[in-house]
Amino acid sequence: MTSHSIGGRALKRLFRAGFNHLSRNVELINRLNVFPVPDGDTGINIFHTLQRACREIEDTESDDFSLIAEGFARGALMGARGNSGTILSQLLKGFADGLDKAPHLTDELFARACQAAVERGYASVSEPTEGTMLTVAREASAALQQREFESSSLREILETLIAAADASLNNTPQLLPILKDAGVVDAGGMGLVCFLRGMRGDRSPLQASTAPIGGKIAAAGAESFGYDVQFLMIGEDLDLMQTRRDLEQLGWSVIVVGDEETIKVHIHVDNPAVPIDYAIQSGATLDDVVVENMALQVRQSLAGAISLQDRRAAASVDVTVIAVADGDGLRAVFHDLNCGAVIRGGAGRNPSAEDFIAAIQRAPAERVIILPNNRNVILAARQAADMIQPMLARVVPTETVLQGINAMLAFGDATDSGADFESTIAQMSAARGEIHSIEITCASRKTRFRDLEINENDFIAIVDGAIRSASADVAGATLDAFAVLHVASLELATIYYGAGVSKFETNQLIRRLTKSIEGLEFEAIYGGQSLYPFLISVE
Amino acid sequence: MTSNRIRIAADSVCDLPADLATALHVHIIPTYVNIDGLSIPDDGISLNRERFFRELPSMGTLPTTAAPSPGDAESFYRALLDDGATHIVSIHVPANLSGTLNAMRLGAEAVGEDKVTLVDSLQLTFGIGFQVWAAAELAAAGAPLEAILDAIERVRRHTRVYAIIDTMDYLRRSGRVNALIASIGGLLKIKPIVSVGDGDVSSIARLRTWSRAERRLASLTDDQKPLERLAVLHIANRRGAENYLEKIRDLAPSDTLVIETTPTLGTHIGPGSIGVATLNANWRR
Repeated sequence: MTSHSIGGRALKRLFRAGFNHLSRNVELINRLNVFPVPDGDTGINIFHTLQRACREIEDTESDDFSLIAEGFARGALMGARGNSGTILSQLLKGFADGLDKAPHLTDELFARACQAAVERGYASVSEPTEGTMLTVAREASAALQQREFESSSLREILETLIAAADASLNNTPQLLPILKDAGVVDAGGMGLVCFLRGMRGDRSPLQASTAPIGGKIAAAGAESFGYDVQFLMIGEDLDLMQTRRDLEQLGWSVIVVGDEETIKVHIHVDNPAVPIDYAIQSGATLDDVVVENMALQVRQSLAGAISLQDRRAAASVDVTVIAVADGDGLRAVFHDLNCGAVIRGGAGRNPSAEDFIAAIQRAPAERVIILPNNRNVILAARQAADMIQPMLARVVPTETVLQGINAMLAFGDATDSGADFESTIAQMSAARGEIHSIEITCASRKTRFRDLEINENDFIAIVDGAIRSASADVAGATLDAFAVLHVASLELATIYYGAGVSKFETNQLIRRLTKSIEGLEFEAIYGGQSLYPFLISVE
Repeated sequence: MTSNRIRIAADSVCDLPADLATALHVHIIPTYVNIDGLSIPDDGISLNRERFFRELPSMGTLPTTAAPSPGDAESFYRALLDDGATHIVSIHVPANLSGTLNAMRLGAEAVGEDKVTLVDSLQLTFGIGFQVWAAAELAAAGAPLEAILDAIERVRRHTRVYAIIDTMDYLRRSGRVNALIASIGGLLKIKPIVSVGDGDVSSIARLRTWSRAERRLASLTDDQKPLERLAVLHIANRRGAENYLEKIRDLAPSDTLVIETTPTLGTHIGPGSIGVATLNANWRR
C-alpha cells in the first residue's frame, strides 16, 4: 500500500483542472448529444454541474482530501442539471463517501472510492442504460480494481482510468444502437472522459471526427462570479459562427448554439449590458433575456435555506405544483391551471437540483409536486426532491411539457375532489399516458436514424419520445407523425406554436392537416417555446 | 274542510314541466329574464325557450336574470292562502346563487311568517324538482309538515346533479361562480363536468373532448344506482341529451324525463351543455 502526499489542496487543483478542460469542450459535447434533436445540451449541463461543484470548494483552504471531495460532491449535487449532470454528481458523491473520511489518499482507497462511485451512479437511475456515462465509469473503475498496488503515482492511477475510459467511450456505439445510427459516441461519457483528462493535465481541445469543434471556449473563471446572461437572438440570416467568435471576445463560458433564425446565447460577463448591446447592434430581435448575478445567487442560496418548519407554518395551501416550461405561452398555460411556480427550462437551460430546491423553498405550500416536463430534467428534479424530503416534495416524471399540461388538469381534479397527496400524485402520473405527444423540431445536421434519412434543417417529428418522421416540409413531417397514431380513436389535437411561428402559419398547418385527417378537432394555442415550432398534444 | 292543507310552492328554476306541476298541485313563481330592457317572466309561456336559446349566442349583451320581487312573493303566497292553504312549503334556488329566497322571505313576512316554511334546496334544476315532487306527493297524501320537511332533506341527500359544460364562456360572463372559473382557467378549451350541491357549483373533472366527458358523466350516473328518478337535462341540445340517454338506457327508469333547463339558469351556462339529475332509490329508507 502506497500513501501519496496528495491532500485536499492538490485535489482541489485537479478538480479545477478537470472542470476547465470540460469547459473548453462544452460545445463539442453538446454537438455529440444534439443528434439530431437540437435540445441536447449534455455539455452545458455537465458544465453547470461542475461549475457549481468548484464554487462549493473555492473558499475551502483545508488540505483534507476527503473534505474537498465531499464539498465538491455536495456542490455537484446542488448544481446537477440534466441526466448526465445528475449521474455525474452521483458518481462524485459515491466517490466522496467511498473515501470514508480518510484525510490522505492511498491508491487502494482511490480504487475503493471509484467502485463506490460506480455503485452509487448505477443506483441513481431506475433502469441503467449501458453505452452511457455509467458504462464508462464502470469500466474505468474496473481497470483500477485489477491493478497491483505498488508504487503507483496518482498520475499513473489517472492514466489507468483514462485509458480504460477512452476504450469504453469508443465502444459506446456498440452498446447503444441510437449512437451507432448517428455515428457518435455517448456525450455524457465524453464529458466524464473530458473531466478525467483535465485532471491529468490535458489542455488541448478534444477532437472528434463526428462533429466540428466550434471554436475555443474560454475557460470558465470560477474566480470571478460576474453575471450569467442568457438570451435568444431571433432574425433572418443570422451568422452563427461569427456571433460565436464575437461573443467569445466579450466574456467567458460562452455557449452559442442555433441556426440562421434563432441563436441561443449563454455567456458569463462582468457587464451584462455588453453582450445584449452586441446582439441588438447585430440587428437581431432579443427574447427570453435572463440576467443573473452569480455572486448574489450564491449568497441567496445560502441565506435562502429557510427551515422547512418555518415554511410549513407559513404555507397557504396544502399542495402546490412546480413545473418547468420553456416559452412565455406555455408558462402562462401552467399559471392559468393554477401551477404554484413555473421554472424556466428549455435548451441549454435545464434547471439544476439547486433551482428546484430554491423553488420548493419559495413555494407557499406545505407540500410540492414537481413536473420536470422533459426527459433530461427528471433526474435533477428527483435529486432535489430527495434532498428536501420525499414526504414534502415529489416528482411526477413527465417527459414532455404536453404530458405536464395534462397532469396539471388532473391536479385540478384531484384538488377539487379533496384527494390526498398520494392519490393526487397517482392521478397526475396516470394523466401522462392519456395523451400522445408529438414534438416537431428541426434537425441540426444531416444524419441517419434507423430507417430515416434526415437532412440538415429537415423537420423531424418525435412521437411519444421516438423519432418517427422527417421531411423538408413541416406539414409532411406532422402528417407522418399522425399516421403513426390511431387517429380513428382520437378527437382533439392541441397545437402549441413556438417562438417565431405565427398564428397564421399555425392555421395554415391546421388546414393542411384537416384535409388529410378526418374527425379530428384542432386547437391552436401560443406556446412561445424555442426550437420546437410545434408541440402537439393528441387525445 | 280538512285541517291540513299544506301547499307546495317553488320557483321556476326547479324545472318541473307545467303539466307535471299541475298534476302535483305545485305552485310555481317565475323568476325573470331581462333582455334588451324587457323583464320577461320565465314562466314557460312568455319566453319561448327554443327561440331564446337559438338567439342567445348572437345576443350582443348577455341577458341577465332576476329574482321575483318581494311584492310578487307576497301576492303569490296570499293567493295560495286565500285558496285555503293552511301552510305553504316553499322550495327554492340556493340563496348562495340567487336573491329569490330573500324575496320570498320578505313576501312571507308580509303574509305572516308562521304561514310559510322556506326551504333552501341547495340544488339547481331537477335537483330542486325532485325535492318538490316528493314534497307534493306527501302533501297530497295529507302528511304532516315534519314528514314533508324530513322527506325533502332525505331526497336532497340522495340527489346528484352533474353537467358537462360545453363552453365556459357563459359561466365566465355570468360571474356567479368565480371560484369555479378560477379553478378551471381560461387558456385551454376545457369541457368540465360540474357538480351541484350544497348550494354551489364545483368542477369535478376537466376534460378536453366531448366523448370523454360523456363517458365520465355516464360513470358518475352509474355510481348513483339504483335510480328511482332520472332527468336528463340539456340546453338547446335535445339531440345530445337523447343520444346520451340511449347510452345509459340500462340505468334509466321508464319515466325518465328529458328536460330543457329554464332560460334563467341556461343563460348562465350557455347552449350545448347536457347533464343529469339523479335520485337514488334509497332515499325512502
